[in-house]
Amino acid sequence: MLALRANSLFAATPVIEIEIKDHLFYPAEIVVPANTKVKLLIINQDPTPEEFESYELNREKVINGSSKTVIFIGPLRAGKYPFFGEFHPGTAQGMVLVE
Amino acid sequence: MLLSSVILVLQETLEAALLISVLMAVSHQLKQRIAWLPWGLCGGAILASLYSANMQSVSEWFDYVGQEVVNALLQASISVTIIFLFWAIFRTRPAVHPASEPIKEHYVFLFQLSAAIAVTLTITREGSELLMYLGGFIQQGDKLQAILTGSGIGFSIGISVGFLLYYGLMGLPGHWGFTSCVLLMSLFAGNMLSQATLLLTQADWLPSGGSLWDTSAWLPEHSISGQLLYALIGYEATPSWIQVVSYLAGTALILAVAFKAKYWANRGLFLK
Repeated sequence: MLALRANSLFAATPVIEIEIKDHLFYPAEIVVPANTKVKLLIINQDPTPEEFESYELNREKVINGSSKTVIFIGPLRAGKYPFFGEFHPGTAQGMVLVE
Repeated sequence: MLLSSVILVLQETLEAALLISVLMAVSHQLKQRIAWLPWGLCGGAILASLYSANMQSVSEWFDYVGQEVVNALLQASISVTIIFLFWAIFRTRPAVHPASEPIKEHYVFLFQLSAAIAVTLTITREGSELLMYLGGFIQQGDKLQAILTGSGIGFSIGISVGFLLYYGLMGLPGHWGFTSCVLLMSLFAGNMLSQATLLLTQADWLPSGGSLWDTSAWLPEHSISGQLLYALIGYEATPSWIQVVSYLAGTALILAVAFKAKYWANRGLFLK
C-alpha cells in the first residue's frame, strides 16, 4: 500500500479546484482527461455543510461549512459524470466531462 | 426541499432499518430477547453525535481523507462483528441443542453484544451524516419546517420498509426464514467490506481499477428499486473489480463460518 501511495505521489496527480458558494458549484462543469486519476479539491465557502455525491462516479463525502476537502476520482472512460450536493440538490448540480 | 429531505433521510435510515429487521427476525427465531436493540440505538446515537461534532477535524486527518478512512474502518468492523454474530447464532440456535441442554450463557451474551455493536456502528455512520444535514438547516434557520417534515416522512418510510421486511421474513415457512436471514446478513457483511474498499479508493489508498460492468441503463442506482437493492444487498451500477472481489470474498468468508459452525454443531461438538 505504501508503494502504491508513493507511486501516486510521483505521478503528479492533476488537481482541480471546485468551490461551493450559495449552494452552487463553481465551476459547475469541469473537464478532465480520460484514463487519468484526478484530485478534486473542494472548498466550501458556505457556513453550512454539504455532501458531494455522484452515483456515476461512485463518490460520496460530507464537507463541513467553511472548510475544504479532497476527493480522488478516475481513471475514467470518456463521458459525462454528473455530481450534486446532496444537502441542496435543488441548486448544487455539476458535471465532470471526461474527454 | 421537502422531497429532497424525504429521499436523503430515507437513504440514511434504510440500511440501519433493514439490518435491525433481519436481526429482530433472527432473535425471534432463536427465541432470544431483543435487548441488543436499545443498546445499539443508544450507542449509535451517542457515537453519531460525537462523530458529527468532530467531523471537521476527522476530515483533515491523513491529508483530508480522514473521513474515508474512519468510515472504511467502521464498515469493515461491521463485517467482522457479523462474523462473531454468526458464530454466536449457530451456537445459540435451539435446533442444535437437545431440549434438556440449556443454552450456554456466554453464547447468548456474544449474540446480544455483537448484534448491539453491529447496530451501533451502522447508525454511527449514517446517523452522523443525518445530524450534519439537519444541523446545517438549524444553523440557517430557513426552510427548517419543510426539512423537518420531509425528514419525518423519510424516517417513517424507512421504518415501514424495515417492518415489511421483518414480517416478510417471519412469514416464510419452515427453515426458509432463518436461511433468508443468514443469507441477507452474509450479503450485508460482503457489502460493508465492498463499501470499505470503495472509500479507500476514494481516498487514493487503494488503486481504482475502473468499473467491471455498467448496469446503470438497466437499473439506475438512484431509482427506487436501485436504492432499495443498494440498502439491502449493496447494489452498484458501476462497481470496480476491487469492490466485486471484496464483496464476494466477504460473503463467502461469512458463509464459510456459518457452514463450519453448522458442521460442528451437527457433530455435537458445541455441546462439549
